[in-house]
Amino acid sequence: MSEAAAHDAPTSTGIEHKKLIMWLFLASDCMFFGTLISTHLLYRKLYPTGFTDAEGHQRFIQNLFNIELTSFSTFILLMSSFLMALAVSAMHKGQIKSFRRNVLGVIFFGLIFLGCQVFEFTHFYHQGLTIQNSVLGSTFYVLTGTHGTHVAIGVLWLILLYFYSFSGKLQGHVAALDVEVAGLYWHFVDIVWIIIFTAVYLVEYLGPNGFWGSGLPPVIK
Amino acid sequence: MSDLTHDRAFLAEETRRYHHFITLALWLAVITGAEIVLIFLPVPMAVVLSVLILLSVGKFFAVTLWFMHLIYDKRLLFWIFLSALVLALATFTALIALLNPAAVDTKWFS
Repeated sequence: MSEAAAHDAPTSTGIEHKKLIMWLFLASDCMFFGTLISTHLLYRKLYPTGFTDAEGHQRFIQNLFNIELTSFSTFILLMSSFLMALAVSAMHKGQIKSFRRNVLGVIFFGLIFLGCQVFEFTHFYHQGLTIQNSVLGSTFYVLTGTHGTHVAIGVLWLILLYFYSFSGKLQGHVAALDVEVAGLYWHFVDIVWIIIFTAVYLVEYLGPNGFWGSGLPPVIK
Repeated sequence: MSDLTHDRAFLAEETRRYHHFITLALWLAVITGAEIVLIFLPVPMAVVLSVLILLSVGKFFAVTLWFMHLIYDKRLLFWIFLSALVLALATFTALIALLNPAAVDTKWFS
């Protein structure tokens, strides 16, 4: 039995209700993202050439992607996950100040990630990739946008927890469980991005003709 | 006395986890860096793709097991999550099989 279970309501599984429900939610969300990622990959295969911009020019997705920026935001999200693990650990030990410090770090990193995504979306939009003008745009924006929405919800949740910690009510095993559940959600957002980073971004740079066989375009920005 | 022993054991366990988290964070950063370098290396695409998939799956399970405490928690949680992963993978396989890109005439969609 984990630390909080002994102090929580009795369960037939020995797992706290909140934690079990969160894991069931994450399992369903896993299938949801699985479908979105599958759809994106399938349509990339069907339409390997990219999209047509407003001027009628054929554009390649590799010209739009900024691998440096995406790598940076990936690193930021991974490190935010690390800080979240430390925040949960601090809460279990009853170190509220350490918890606040780490959660502030997670919020800060989450906001940086969201800023990078807003910048990326704006750049893509100005380059002619919209959600309506191509299948690529539709699947890309829906997939990464849904993930971004999850990040935004996570940031909001952690901001609320941070301010709630000043009320004096965030203490004891039940509070530690609340923080752990929020942490599970945040880590899930991170593992989804690990898959998206490889399946959506990195594969576009593979091989002399690109993974989808569209041919790597000349480098223009 | 018993409580004191329990508290000490609990704190020792948390400290041990703390070190695991730091080690894991370093590995995650190194692996992500390796992935980025890998895509620019003159290596056959099949090799790079296989390594990328392996590294991503490794990162995925590392975060799930340690950061999400699945390795420390009840086994039931692991099976719940694994079931969802299997279903997600089955969805992916079914979609690819049903909508086989080679068999779809895209002219009707363009």
